[in-house]
Amino acid sequence: MAWSRKSAMFASLAVALYLLGLVLRNQQLVTVAVVLLSFLTWAAFRTSHADVSSSGRRIDDTQNDEGIELQNILAMRKVSSSRIFEDGEIDVSLRLQNRSNTSKVLEVRDRVPEVMRIKKGANYVLMELGPQRETEISYTIETPLRGFYTIGPVCVRVQDAFGLFHNEKEIHLYEDFLVFPKMEDIKDAMIKSRVPKIFTGAVNIRNPGEGSNFYNLREYIPGDPMKKVNWKATARQDGKMMVNEFEKDAVSDIIIIVDSRKISETGPVSRNSLVYSTRAAASLSQYFLARRDSVGLVLYGDEITSVDRDTGKKQLYVLLTKLAGSMAKGNTPLKIVTNRIMPHINRGSPVILLSPLEEDPTIVDAVRDLRSRNFEVTVLSPSSLEFEFDARRLDRTGYEVLKTERDILMAELRGLGAYVMDWEPDMMLNTALTGARGF
Amino acid sequence: MAEENKPKTSDTAHLYDSTTLRSSAPSRKAAAGRQKQNTEIPVDAIPEVHVPGWVESIFGGPVISSMKFLPPDRMVTSLQLASSITLVLLCFLTFMITPVTGTAWFAISNMIGLGFVGGLLHFIIIGIGLIGGMYGVFQRDQRALLISYCMLIIVTIRFAGSKVEFGLSFLPEGEIAQKFLLILYAIFLVMFIELSSGIIRFSMLDTSIRTGEVYVMGIQKITSRYHKSLLIAPSIAGIVALLTLFINRIIPAMIGVIDPVSANRLRESVELTSVYGVALGTMVIFMIIAGSFAVNLPLRIQQFRDKKTN
Repeated sequence: MAWSRKSAMFASLAVALYLLGLVLRNQQLVTVAVVLLSFLTWAAFRTSHADVSSSGRRIDDTQNDEGIELQNILAMRKVSSSRIFEDGEIDVSLRLQNRSNTSKVLEVRDRVPEVMRIKKGANYVLMELGPQRETEISYTIETPLRGFYTIGPVCVRVQDAFGLFHNEKEIHLYEDFLVFPKMEDIKDAMIKSRVPKIFTGAVNIRNPGEGSNFYNLREYIPGDPMKKVNWKATARQDGKMMVNEFEKDAVSDIIIIVDSRKISETGPVSRNSLVYSTRAAASLSQYFLARRDSVGLVLYGDEITSVDRDTGKKQLYVLLTKLAGSMAKGNTPLKIVTNRIMPHINRGSPVILLSPLEEDPTIVDAVRDLRSRNFEVTVLSPSSLEFEFDARRLDRTGYEVLKTERDILMAELRGLGAYVMDWEPDMMLNTALTGARGF
Repeated sequence: MAEENKPKTSDTAHLYDSTTLRSSAPSRKAAAGRQKQNTEIPVDAIPEVHVPGWVESIFGGPVISSMKFLPPDRMVTSLQLASSITLVLLCFLTFMITPVTGTAWFAISNMIGLGFVGGLLHFIIIGIGLIGGMYGVFQRDQRALLISYCMLIIVTIRFAGSKVEFGLSFLPEGEIAQKFLLILYAIFLVMFIELSSGIIRFSMLDTSIRTGEVYVMGIQKITSRYHKSLLIAPSIAGIVALLTLFINRIIPAMIGVIDPVSANRLRESVELTSVYGVALGTMVIFMIIAGSFAVNLPLRIQQFRDKKTN
């Protein structure tokens, strides 16, 4: 049984008046004190349980102090989905059973993560639950941010009618769910490897060869099969025989590097570089895997986490899970990351770096190393300057100076042959990618 | 690209050619600070932190929570009405049963030779209690309510010398009637405190319901439970107070069964009829209550109620 502030005030007032009444020999004060004390005692009696627990104990320790009123309360929870994308909705239904033979007035709060929004219904319910009855609370939560989350525990409270004393119980019922980063549809992100590689699951690369998609027309060379002759084109070329060329089928290895250092979380919680980077990485992964490319992921912050290259839908969920769990921590330089991964990836593979390009003196060196080994580097840089400027945390002068520094760094990276795009907050990923590639 | 050993610390020497890499890139914050004419931190960059005052730190939080309520619903309105009626009756009872004699302001006014000032002050204190209470009840202002409680308690603080005295001469002088009047006054005071705090509590609940923060199932059952408690709790408190105040009659009656002479002496005892008799009564009654708690009586009653139908 726990005391509320009101009951503590009542008790101290009663004791003070009682003592004062004795000192001043005033029966009026003593009577008020006695009535107050009786009022408190009755409320305590009604809340039941005489084993008053001392404060400051852990919930687990007080399991036995919850009182009989709460011993027969059971809860069961169902969620509509355990994996969802950002801005999705999860329906939660919580069933409460009163297995005792007395009716109870309960205050029930199902704990949901702070970042979640209750869209429909309520997770906090005050109810009267009859004997041997059950009821169901339903609510819908909106999931605005990626991550691993848990719903629960269920907090149940019984208190007296005057709110003087209460008994609390935490029903340790948890539901875990995963929020994947939101994905955009990328149709024109034409990032393809120039180096063909034979691997299961063929996709188109930009070299002519034996493929299925039309690539170009060329003049007939003796030895070309006749089925490749394009007769309409031949007729237009005044008898010069033209043949169809097809894109060579091969596999591209795409490596996506996501900067999840502490600096990448600069800006508001829902609008920062890491949020944008994870969304971009998810969209790119989906796009490339749909093309049957092989996609690998590297996340670096306080440590380097990687997902080996693979293809298929399963790989997409592996990547999305890693992206969902990425946390802004540490300050590992990019050079360490590239030094580590370079021996493991095929030369010429496209490398996509998603980073705010801040507070890392090794960026230029790292990109130079990648370029020197013939990797096709695309840098997509969500600008945290814009996030901070939009949130009015940066004044105009500071913004201009830092923007100039950023532009210089980007120009330097472009000079090394990397495709670099300054990704502004309101720009669609598709547009940013197109800008980076110069299409 | 298998995962390799993870760096254990922020020291990067073991990873990068035995050189520790440190972030020495252009610091955005430093640059921003340098470039600005005015280097103060933007207001919105400072999180809003409520620094508790010394009173709040004693109580471990705000003594009075400030909350904006939506217009009162039916339940709150009925509580406001009940509370205001109780307050008027309480102020009237206070005025009747609390004489100015024995109060600090009466003593001071007599010392300065202006006896009427004491009476005026006494009247003003009750008036502040009434007006503050009314304002607090209808505006749902907790500060005004607290002032009202304080005033209505302060006005009763006086040296009484164990005698029950009333402010108005026409009131009954019999012991039983006097004690009933005292209990009535005490119940009204406690009821006013409870009803007015109930206004705040139910306003909070109503606001939470209407803003969708809380959902209430079977609100009528919950409010009817409160209404029942409003009748039962003061009655119980009144009975306990009655037993306590009439201890000077209960003890002699019990002793009288064994020894009528001693019982008669006890009845005439000044100590037992004084405030110390009441103290003895309180001790006896609350020892019984403490005993019931010690044997876990509430738990046993609850268990009995729970198992009754099985």
